[in-house]
Amino acid sequence: MSNTLAIDLPDFLPAENDSHPRHIEIVSTRSQKRARPRVIYALVAVAGLFVILMGQLLLSIWLSDGAYQISGLQQTQRDLSRDQQALGESLNVLQSPQNLAGQASALGMVMNTGSQGFLSLSGGVTRAPTAATADTAVAADAASYTPNALITPDISALGAAAAAATAAAAVGTGAPAGSTGAGSVASTPGTPAQTVLPSPITH
Amino acid sequence: MTNPRRSRRRLALAMVMVFAVVGIFAVRLVDIQLVRADQLTADSLGKRAVKTPTYAARGAIVDTNGVVLADSVNRFDLTVSPANIALIDAAGFLRVAKDGTKSRVTVMQAATEIANLTKQDPATIYSSLTKNSTSNYALVSKSVDLATKRAIEKLKIPGTIFQLHPRRTYPNGAVAGNLTGYMSTDGPGGGLELGDNTSCLRSTSGSTTYEQGADGVQIPGSEVIKKASKPGGTLKLSIDSDLQWFALQAIAEQGTAIGAQSGTAIVLRIKDFHLMAVADWPPVDPNNVDGSDLANYGSHAFTAQYEPGSVFKAMSAAMLIDTGIGSPAMQAVVPSHWVTPEGATVNDAAPHPEQQLTLTGVLQNSSNVGISKLGSQVPEKTRLDYMKKFGLGQATAVGFPGEATGLINKLPWDNQTHYNVLYGQGVSATALQVAQIFATLGNGGMRLPTTLVESCTKADGTVTAVPSTTGTRVVSESTAKTVVNMLESVVQAGELSKAVKIPGYRVAGKSGTAEVASNGRYTGDRVVSFAGIAPAEDPQYVVVVTYTKPATMKSSAAAAPTFKKIMSQVLTKYRVPPSTSPSTYPATTW
Repeated sequence: MSNTLAIDLPDFLPAENDSHPRHIEIVSTRSQKRARPRVIYALVAVAGLFVILMGQLLLSIWLSDGAYQISGLQQTQRDLSRDQQALGESLNVLQSPQNLAGQASALGMVMNTGSQGFLSLSGGVTRAPTAATADTAVAADAASYTPNALITPDISALGAAAAAATAAAAVGTGAPAGSTGAGSVASTPGTPAQTVLPSPITH
Repeated sequence: MTNPRRSRRRLALAMVMVFAVVGIFAVRLVDIQLVRADQLTADSLGKRAVKTPTYAARGAIVDTNGVVLADSVNRFDLTVSPANIALIDAAGFLRVAKDGTKSRVTVMQAATEIANLTKQDPATIYSSLTKNSTSNYALVSKSVDLATKRAIEKLKIPGTIFQLHPRRTYPNGAVAGNLTGYMSTDGPGGGLELGDNTSCLRSTSGSTTYEQGADGVQIPGSEVIKKASKPGGTLKLSIDSDLQWFALQAIAEQGTAIGAQSGTAIVLRIKDFHLMAVADWPPVDPNNVDGSDLANYGSHAFTAQYEPGSVFKAMSAAMLIDTGIGSPAMQAVVPSHWVTPEGATVNDAAPHPEQQLTLTGVLQNSSNVGISKLGSQVPEKTRLDYMKKFGLGQATAVGFPGEATGLINKLPWDNQTHYNVLYGQGVSATALQVAQIFATLGNGGMRLPTTLVESCTKADGTVTAVPSTTGTRVVSESTAKTVVNMLESVVQAGELSKAVKIPGYRVAGKSGTAEVASNGRYTGDRVVSFAGIAPAEDPQYVVVVTYTKPATMKSSAAAAPTFKKIMSQVLTKYRVPPSTSPSTYPATTW
């Protein structure tokens, strides 16, 4: 029985003659077996390599993320130090004697130089304080004498606002209000000298 | 089937080709790795790396309490790329506000917005934004401050870039403008900005190179500092800015009132010769260089030499006593007009009947005739040596830029100069030198180096430029004490007593009204001055006030009230306790 049609051969060839099984087999010795490379080592090595590569990748991601953070923080630091410098700049101008004297004068304060009183430890007045006169002051608000181009109206307004706030606070805490007039001197010159030091009575 | 000979030949050919290719690669490798290595590395770095200049600030000038007199602040120049602006169409660029609303802003609107912030003319800004539309750089606004810069940045106008442009600022304005000088675009001018002998203030800019990613972020660890920037040091002066302000206000007030051309006030602390105030009027505001007369820059107290007049009598008296030739009670018969044996003439300021004055009385009455009769007994050579020891004819230890040395004529002096120098004519000195004479007398005859710069602290903390404290013995301690005591007579009972006496304190002082010479002749112009020491029994401060060419009040009476005001302020400010003993002085007549 034969035909000319192509036939689908089976995927595998029919087994060879199995009727004569091999009886001799090469068996590796124990030492040979031990010397043979084991798969587990290869796997460990490959896995290790993989872990190292992943680690490096993560590290570099983390580092570059840090770089953005550093960059951002450096920017913030620069901005803040510029802020600080700008504020210091205004503060220095507000501290200038022209501004302080002008503000003090605007609040009604008068200069009274060389008028200080001195008390001796025995209670006497060694130098009597004196009231302010024209001779004991220099012009406080004559900016033309000591010009300062940095005192702009903006700065003056800033200073005046602060001064007014301080003055208001001072009134609130019980400081004498309206005591802006010149010439009130607390102590009287020539009070008789005491012989003992004034001291609080304690128990 | 195969020809073994052909096959061998093919193999040989293949081998040759392989070797040739390997050879070419090897040559290329050597070329790249060794021959052109540096060039290629630099090129590649140039593509990745960014070089940025690092700016270091010029040092600050501070006063003795650390108050800033001169400092550097950040200012920014607004620049723009007109090429970018040219890309904006007529509808304007798109602006997305914080809350997400979108709007269109035209170039003109943007120019107006900038102009409102920088207080410039919108048309000018519009023109700088649009002119040269192919250029990538145009300066729009110079030296805007931080707040303005941030406000402009918020406008998000495309193509705007800020460049840091540090500027010098003087927070106290004219208070110490004479001493600090100024910084202009041409460089330093005037005082210590120019005369910073030790290069304390100067800073060095550096540069840093780093690699950046595509988005401009620095690659970590790539920073290389090519050149370290070095900020300038802090120059600390001995000046007290508050006192300096007071002194300036005081001389300005009086100087204006008497119509003087200029005035100076000096406060010197005797124990270490530190200058607490050196005020010069008319003042100069270094923040506004154009607004001040350049001739007034620098300190006249250091740079102007003048014939000091009668304040020199204190020094002449010290010579007489120190040489042992004279004493406080040394007697003289004093007419108001005297023709000397050599034929020179000496006149007192005002006519008076013949007086019998002691040396103390000669000082008290400021008699030219009296000091001529007595002082001329000291040989010229000795007098010249004393004058030099007092610091005349040489610059002070400060070494201020443009400082004058003063002039003393060479020996032998002519007949008139022989007498004139005794009362401060025919010889010139600076106000600082006059202050040194009085400070030497106050310091028991020891002249210390006058100090304006206390120290220079470099950025790394090292302190340099600490002034020397080695003194020169000029006259004996007893001579100095005696002369200071004699000078108390001027303040207690002299002509100007009322104007200079400070209640509670013993003050010693001497007035001076010197004639100003012009074209070889003395003119009607005067330099009036008052120099004094307080407290007299324990000298602590010297104050010298001078006015040049007053118009209405041509005598030392013009300087006396200012002296009193400044000295009172010094005694108040530094808490000097009042004198415990009343003022006494040797007899003035016989």
